[in-house]
Amino acid sequence: MVLFFVLLLMAVQLVTFLAIRYAIEQTAQNSLRDEMRVGARVFRRLLDQNSQQLVEATSVLTYDFGFREAIATRDRDTIASALRNHAARIKASGMSVIGLDGNYVTDTNDESNAGKPYPFPDLIERAAQVGRTSAIRMMGGKPYQLVVVPVLAPLPIAWVSMTFVIDDNTARDLQRLASSDVTFVALEGEQRIRLLATTLPPSRRDMVVAQAPYILNHGLDGMTTHMGTDEYEVLATAIEEAGAHLRFYAILQRDVAEGHAPYLALQAVLMFLAAIALAVTLVGAIRIARRITRPVGELADAAAQIAAGNYDVRVIPRTDDELGELARSFGGMVQKLTERDSIRDALGKIASTEVVEKLLQGQIELGGEERDVTVMFTDVRNFTALAEELTPQQSLQLLNEFLTAISEVVEEHGGVVDKYLGDGVMAIFGAPVTRPDDPQRALDCALEIRRRVEGLGPSLASRGLPNPEIGLGMNTALVIAGNMGSPSRLNYTVLGDGVNLAARLEGLTKRYHVPIVAGNRTRESVTGVVWRELDKVRVKGKTVPERIWEPMGREGQVTAPELAMLARWHEALEDFRARRFSHARAAFEVLADERGYLRLVAIYMGYLRELAANPPGEDWDAAFTLYDK
Amino acid sequence: MKSPSLGLLLHLAAAQAATAATLEISFKDAREAPVDDVAVWVMPKSGPAPIGKREAAIAQKDKTFVPLVTVIQTGTPVQFPNMDPIRHHVYSFSPPKPFEIKLYAGTPVAPIVFDKPGEVVLGCNIHDHMLAFVYVVDTPWFAKSKNGVVRIENLPAGDYLLHLAHYRQTAPIPPTPFSARADENVARAVALSLKPAPAIPPGTPPSTVNPK
Repeated sequence: MVLFFVLLLMAVQLVTFLAIRYAIEQTAQNSLRDEMRVGARVFRRLLDQNSQQLVEATSVLTYDFGFREAIATRDRDTIASALRNHAARIKASGMSVIGLDGNYVTDTNDESNAGKPYPFPDLIERAAQVGRTSAIRMMGGKPYQLVVVPVLAPLPIAWVSMTFVIDDNTARDLQRLASSDVTFVALEGEQRIRLLATTLPPSRRDMVVAQAPYILNHGLDGMTTHMGTDEYEVLATAIEEAGAHLRFYAILQRDVAEGHAPYLALQAVLMFLAAIALAVTLVGAIRIARRITRPVGELADAAAQIAAGNYDVRVIPRTDDELGELARSFGGMVQKLTERDSIRDALGKIASTEVVEKLLQGQIELGGEERDVTVMFTDVRNFTALAEELTPQQSLQLLNEFLTAISEVVEEHGGVVDKYLGDGVMAIFGAPVTRPDDPQRALDCALEIRRRVEGLGPSLASRGLPNPEIGLGMNTALVIAGNMGSPSRLNYTVLGDGVNLAARLEGLTKRYHVPIVAGNRTRESVTGVVWRELDKVRVKGKTVPERIWEPMGREGQVTAPELAMLARWHEALEDFRARRFSHARAAFEVLADERGYLRLVAIYMGYLRELAANPPGEDWDAAFTLYDK
Repeated sequence: MKSPSLGLLLHLAAAQAATAATLEISFKDAREAPVDDVAVWVMPKSGPAPIGKREAAIAQKDKTFVPLVTVIQTGTPVQFPNMDPIRHHVYSFSPPKPFEIKLYAGTPVAPIVFDKPGEVVLGCNIHDHMLAFVYVVDTPWFAKSKNGVVRIENLPAGDYLLHLAHYRQTAPIPPTPFSARADENVARAVALSLKPAPAIPPGTPPSTVNPK
């Protein structure tokens, strides 16, 4: 990822660099040529100004009254002397006076010229027309700047011709101002080049002369040429045409590499900046990557560990930014997950997902607390007998069928399966979740379990198995609810006498041959149920006996004959407790053959026999004492 | 038609004067315009001419020589009155009369005597454009053209050489002979070939040297 961005940046920089480099080279080339053109204009202007200055200086000199007087003397020696003096004044190479007849009067360059015709009558003619003139001409094989002005008195009485040699010094003076190498050449005829003056070193001169015809033809607006290994930008400029076969040119010349030097420096600076940008980006990218990918990687590792079940991972937040926040949140999440997982462990036996959720959401306190709950114990009473007919696998499957059915019913009614006890189940209604109708729900649940188990009968019978018998004891009481056990293995459950009683009541179902036995408080807590009182039992250690009941069914579901029988039964029970034993015996005997009363009658007949043998004392309360199992 | 640069077209007209002849010449340039300031003088073939009235003055006014052209008989002293509030330095390098009057104001005490015949060009050393011409002639019979016409009167009968000169002439005009008879008027028309103007420095009031 980092590498990708760095490569991308490098690519962008490379493209940028190449584009800039190309632009720079173009600019350098163009600007060098432009500079040359400007330089050429400056150069021509300089030449103009130079000649103009020479003209002015010569004019001023010839206006000198003394000089004019000297000319007027027509004394040759005087004139020659004055000429030398005046030529020196303006650093001219030479000075001559030409008579109005076009012949030399005198010439400082060559005294013997006196009387000979001046070689450039065209210049005198031009001076006569425009007042004064300047030109470049060859004299004795050397180029000269000539200035021709009249000697006015005040009409022309003679001409003065001032000469200034054009040599390497002249070229050097111009070089400084035009910032180019300057070479003066004469083109004689079509091809013959004569080198007049130059600022070039001797080694380059031949090359310029060799290339000059081409440069004069093609380089009037600038061109690039090679001399030896070096590249030059050259520009030729025509200076003067001294006749049909003699033309003067100046060739301006600049070393391309030298001209490009500032651009190369610029390029180097750009390269340096690009390198710095790349380095900074690289370092920054790596640092950012480290700051992002490392914590993210750590979080991913931690998440994988947690997925694998290892909650001991610790994610340490390194920074204060979003990633640090994420790491902190992650740490918090791990802690919560750890807690919840331990809670799930603690609640391992609580099958109700609803309860587990409530516990996990913290809506239920896990600490020990007093709760009014209805506790239920169930037992498939003849399971052992059933199991004897089956293989171990089959019996386990059958057991699971029962337990599953019972657990389902419990959960359907809002109860919690607290634990499985062999082939039985302990269920709680009212803890950890308390509802106002917990006893009612418990009772409905008991009736439903009874119905379900009875319903299993046909399917079991088809497999050649006997009818199952359910025994269900239930009691409503104030109990202690909470996590019990050790920290490594906590178990949420309920404890108390009421719980024990419920377990005892479950055991009593065998004694009374009834499917359900409920405590008195359960009966008092529910409505719409037809009850049959079974007995009054005294639990060991308790002085008050407990009335125990069997729920027959919902009101309306119990048939009238049954209700009539139930009324008689309760009358008989009342007689028994009121010590009207003979009445009671008679009533029991009436009910003795009735379905569902056989066992009860037998028990009570037993009581009566015992009472007859041992007449009860004053404190007899008609209660049956329960002993330890 | 080609201009006859040196040729003279002569023709005679009826005369009215009784004892002496009168010479009248009209001048035109190539464009048929009348030419002023043509110096005209006649030299008797018989011998030296008599001495005439000899006085002249060339003033400096508005940095200009007035008049531009002066014709005098040899030996005439010429005054140079300076009417400008500034000084002038009048000079001549012409061979007939080189001289200079250095920076002066008013009229110099001593006039300059032009004692040799010939053309003298005058200038001012501090005003380059100032220019004047003096034609020094050995005859009392001279004049300069005005409005293109020159008249020389009271010319005794006899044979003469007619001299013409103009400061813008392209070449010297050779003298031409002519005879004057008493009571005869000689009239001539001359076409002149002239240069545009003398090559003198800029800053010149052109009207003085280039009348047009």
